[in-house]
Amino acid sequence: MRKMEKLISINCVKLLITALFYTCVSCSSVEQKIYVELNDTVPCVRLLNATHQIGCQSSMSGDTGVLHVLESESDLDWILNTGPHPPYMVIMETAFFSRSVMLRMKNSSRVAGVAVIVSRTGLAENFSPHTTCPNQNTGVYSAKYGPELANCNVTTWNPLGNGLSYEDFAFPVFALKDENQTQVIRKCYEDHNLRLNGSAPQYPLCAMQLFSHMHAVTDTVTCMRRTDLQNRFSINPEILCDPLNDYNVWASTRPLNNSAKGQTTNESFVIAATRLDGRSFFWQEAPAAEGTVSGIVTLLAAVQALYPVIQLAPPPRNIFFAFFQGEAFDYIGSSKMVYDMERKEFVIDLNNVHSMLEIGQVGLRNGRDLWMHSDPISRMNSSSVEEEVSDMMKNMHSIAAGLNVSLDEPPASQPLPPSSFQRFLRARQIPGLVLADHRTSFVNRYYESMYDDAENLNVSYPPNLSPEEKLVYETEAAKSLAEVATLVARSLYKQAGGDDSNLNNITADPKIVAQLLYGFVIQKNNSWFQSLLPPDLTKKGILSSGPPQFYIGLGPRTYGPVHSVTLFVQHIMANLTGTVTNLTETQCQKPDDISTENKDLYAYFWVSGSTAVNSSGPFCVRAPVRLSKAMSPAFERQEYGSQDYSTWTESRWKSIRARVFLVASRELEMLTLGVGVAVLLLSLLVTYFLSSKAELLFSSARETPTTTY
Amino acid sequence: MNLERIPNEEKLSLCRRYYLGGFAFLPFLWLVNVMWFFKEAFLKPAYTEQPQIKSYVKKSALGLLLWVAVLTTWITIFQHFRARWGEVGDYLSFTIPLGSA
Repeated sequence: MRKMEKLISINCVKLLITALFYTCVSCSSVEQKIYVELNDTVPCVRLLNATHQIGCQSSMSGDTGVLHVLESESDLDWILNTGPHPPYMVIMETAFFSRSVMLRMKNSSRVAGVAVIVSRTGLAENFSPHTTCPNQNTGVYSAKYGPELANCNVTTWNPLGNGLSYEDFAFPVFALKDENQTQVIRKCYEDHNLRLNGSAPQYPLCAMQLFSHMHAVTDTVTCMRRTDLQNRFSINPEILCDPLNDYNVWASTRPLNNSAKGQTTNESFVIAATRLDGRSFFWQEAPAAEGTVSGIVTLLAAVQALYPVIQLAPPPRNIFFAFFQGEAFDYIGSSKMVYDMERKEFVIDLNNVHSMLEIGQVGLRNGRDLWMHSDPISRMNSSSVEEEVSDMMKNMHSIAAGLNVSLDEPPASQPLPPSSFQRFLRARQIPGLVLADHRTSFVNRYYESMYDDAENLNVSYPPNLSPEEKLVYETEAAKSLAEVATLVARSLYKQAGGDDSNLNNITADPKIVAQLLYGFVIQKNNSWFQSLLPPDLTKKGILSSGPPQFYIGLGPRTYGPVHSVTLFVQHIMANLTGTVTNLTETQCQKPDDISTENKDLYAYFWVSGSTAVNSSGPFCVRAPVRLSKAMSPAFERQEYGSQDYSTWTESRWKSIRARVFLVASRELEMLTLGVGVAVLLLSLLVTYFLSSKAELLFSSARETPTTTY
Repeated sequence: MNLERIPNEEKLSLCRRYYLGGFAFLPFLWLVNVMWFFKEAFLKPAYTEQPQIKSYVKKSALGLLLWVAVLTTWITIFQHFRARWGEVGDYLSFTIPLGSA
């Protein structure tokens, strides 16, 4: 009876304790108390080409350093020479992110890493981490073609370039873009690391650890060889690097049969081209407003201006629109298209190309002239090319006069600026022009940098406008680009042999230009972009907030194999050049069976349609817009050390993150370790002693049984 | 196996087998031979088979030293120069470290 009661009461107590655990227990992780994880990190990654590696590398288990904010020259001296707690993790104010400071950091062994604060306050007048002569080895000018013009002997295109993007750093470099996160780091620094009265701060100090360990090393040849070895002989193959690749967008005024390779008819094409990509020092950061968006917006607006007139009065020649991806990295997209054209594996052939008009950087015109750059060598060598180019220039002059745009030619002996047209010239001497807002060197002071954004392009809106109002507000920049687009459209029409009487009907709509500009430099998540894209893409989150980034990157991405900017341009082109059909969704995805639709001539897009309340919902658009693979021919031919084609690859990595925490002095760490080892040895000693003297110590318990008798 | 309980002839044959086996590019057999039979060969009071065991142990020790020298040299050279050898280095390696030369 008593035993039962005792059992019940014990069980009751156990139940009570378990119930208490469920109500008031909470997980209190030690790791969270120590480390503050920084989200939204923007690293600098390692890129490799045939001969070099560029970018940044950290150790496999991250690089830790005591924080120090670099605000003045004395801070620089403290970090590099006098500070007593090396290695330091430098928090660099914007003004100090320059070539001289970074190279001094590179040569010092006291720097564990750099975190650059990205803001416009304190920004220098110009900052271009790109080289002074972009793509100098893969353009048309070489020892064999215009040697006196090669390597920027005549004109330095990017004189403000400091070449930082092409340096190799052995420590991680991150960018701090989020103001709140920077504040957290600053607070930790101010609480623990400040120097009081010139004396060194005391431990514990605030430190930061940056992880960005890159797998690839040396150059593309080595990396691809090792990847190959891994794939063949290892059980768990590790891929070390991937070639930069994406897709070019192309379209033509008269639809082309996509399945036929190498046009054999006598059709003649005028190519209108621009680039789709940009880059900066950091990974996936590339607002590229003046460098790239100005060209994209102009060409898209020109397409919009041309199409109605082309339907009514088609010109004799076909116009081929091309948007090349990867041009920042030795002309990936254009070299691939020219390569395919040469081997007759593309829908058109180099024989069919009549002439080419490329749109370079045209955004910073501001009442200045537009310049038509041409290649002096081909004009000298071939009289037909000279004739055609002069014709083109004359046409453009007459059109520009009617438009009140001042157009001019740079000095006759000046070479072409870096442009996709140079790759076409390498294959065949075709007449062509490159339109730009700079006479000699670039006007863009932030070429290929994080600061080439809306502010650099002078895109500004009056205050107190809602996003929808901003979308359609015609800024000065939009009006300026609309004028350029009209010029381009009319010139293309004339170049294609169209009638002069129709020219005045070709005008770019400033509203479309304003919408394009808003979508590409301010905010991609707007109602117009939403209406142009398929519903499943918008659901996958392709329209996140902020402007799109133009770095080419690698596939696959979260929303599919194609880069977001390529998809935007593809769908905008479909909207501008396509016709609405009344196919259903399944029919739109597989139009093979329908007799009136031709999958060879057109591509079919299922788009969302307007998001307004009284709209009809998604519909199917038929347009002659296609994607073509933009991966360097060097990878197809497996010539990873090629000097003719781009060999750029991006390294792979496991994790990229950053965290902030407090560190103790080395002496304290050693002391803790020493005490621990001492306790271990002591316990071993005591155990040995106890076990050897066991009989003596524990004998009393054993003696008694023998004496009971 | 406890050497105390084995008759001397078997000890000799064991020692010989380990010695001969080491010639098949198995230096660890020589190492085991030296460690195991050291006490038998040099520290125990003399018995008939001991001189032969002693000679086997000495020869195993010699072979072992040679192997250690060769391997140490090769490993030092490889670790130091592998990165510089480029393609050859990669083909000779079993695992190549990620992210560093």
